[in-house]
Amino acid sequence: MTRDITIGQFLPGDSIIHRLDPRIKTLLALFYMVTLFVAQSAVGLAISALFILFVAVLAHIPFRMLLSGIRPLIIIIIIAGVFNMFYIPGHALWHFGILTITREGIGTAAFMGIRVIFLILGASMLTYTTSPILLTDGLDSMLSPLAKLHFPVHELSMMMTIALRFIPTLTEETQKIMQAQKARGADFESGNILRRAKALLPILIPLFVSAFRRADELALAMDCRCYRGGEGRTKLHILRLQKRDGLAVCTSSLLFVIVLTLNFVLPHAY
Amino acid sequence: MPIIQTEDLTYLYGVGTPFEKTALNHINLSIEEGEFVGVIGHTGSGKSTLLQHFNGLIKPSAGRVLIDGKDIWEKGANRQALRFSVGLVFQYPEYQIFEETVYKDVAFGPRNMGLSEKEVDIRVREAATFSGVEDSWLEKSPFALSGGQKRRVAIAGVLAMRPKVLILDEPAAGLDPRGRDAILDRICDYQRTQGTTVLLVSHSMEDIARIATRVLVMDKGSTAFYGDVSTVFSHAKELLSMGLDVPQITRVFMRLHEMGLPVQPSIYTVEQGKNEILRVLKERET
Repeated sequence: MTRDITIGQFLPGDSIIHRLDPRIKTLLALFYMVTLFVAQSAVGLAISALFILFVAVLAHIPFRMLLSGIRPLIIIIIIAGVFNMFYIPGHALWHFGILTITREGIGTAAFMGIRVIFLILGASMLTYTTSPILLTDGLDSMLSPLAKLHFPVHELSMMMTIALRFIPTLTEETQKIMQAQKARGADFESGNILRRAKALLPILIPLFVSAFRRADELALAMDCRCYRGGEGRTKLHILRLQKRDGLAVCTSSLLFVIVLTLNFVLPHAY
Repeated sequence: MPIIQTEDLTYLYGVGTPFEKTALNHINLSIEEGEFVGVIGHTGSGKSTLLQHFNGLIKPSAGRVLIDGKDIWEKGANRQALRFSVGLVFQYPEYQIFEETVYKDVAFGPRNMGLSEKEVDIRVREAATFSGVEDSWLEKSPFALSGGQKRRVAIAGVLAMRPKVLILDEPAAGLDPRGRDAILDRICDYQRTQGTTVLLVSHSMEDIARIATRVLVMDKGSTAFYGDVSTVFSHAKELLSMGLDVPQITRVFMRLHEMGLPVQPSIYTVEQGKNEILRVLKERET
């Protein structure tokens, strides 16, 4: 069950995409999303789509992983699409009572759907290729100017690192506890909502107990290694921009310029 | 008819992701009723995965698991009922305790079986006696007990279902020597008096040699050996190359044998060793 969640998963690798600076990668992921929204022409959208597929190939992300990242959101996309189909006024194709489907509606629905799918792919390309540690390291570095305003940047990124670090641990723990309670005949799948909620207690209580125990142990271990917050703390891996980061910025900007130009040259898709 | 049987049991982890891994590779195994099987193997050899197949917690990727001659993944098979007859005690079982009182936690299994309160009460007290849970703890909060005491409560929680097969994954891990012996002795007693089939994972070759009747050796997702304790421990070289060990006393006798003394190398308990030395000495005298 929990194993099927692939959004936010990291796929270790050594491709050029993996090695990009996490700060640049985060910013470029946002930039890509902006590009997707700027694109008004079908060709522009297609080029943006090909771009992210190209990135996926470079990063050696299996096609199946891309699909599984979209799957949980497909229902939302379809519902949004249906609403678009009915609510956009224009050249009517089909009537049913008060419901009308227009050609423009179908066009918008398809365009929006594709846009959302590639939005997700763009975001997951960041998490697929960046380890959680690097991701928070990058955020830490990007937010560091705020420290002058007494914003607790280091504490925030440390909290994020710890939280991310414990997601797999707690997932595994949940699975283990579930198996153990199932071995004693616990039943999580039948009965009404109240019964099912009650059936979760044998999982939640041990999970909370162990989360508190882990937090306690971690705090102690950090204390033992003289952790005193961010002041005067140095880094083992200092983030430095490389040539490839410049290349990535140039490529993304090129995409943006092409998409923007196409908006003026070609007719809008909707 | 064997009580546990597997046919070409295969299990793959993370199918379709870059993390795909064969955890179990064509396991063919049959375990007779009433055996006390010691399960050994390196960390990650597939022991725990194999054991979780026996009560249907994991569905095999290929192959079959038969309990009492019945395929547990057959259409219409009742796997919840199966879990009552194949009791599984996980590693560090104390972390799964959740009730307010020890009594209620031990009663969780029997209550899930749908037994009457009277029967539940009988089962709880019986299981408590078997696993060494004292009467005075029953109304206490389990979280107030020590680690070793909690472990006993958790084991009682499985025994209370009166399983036909009892599977324990390192029941003595992390306990002090006295706590360890106490738990293992209780499991031994239980097996002897109830005639239950027991599978016990342990990293201590001494413990396995002392209490098991047969030994199952897992290596890289396959069964390397399955047989009598003496037969398996006579493969000392292979066991050592798998990163496992043989009991200390076996190593002593293997070395004596290499040195040319007329002793049997397949000795695995101190008691046997004593008798063997006495036998050789007596032969010398005559």
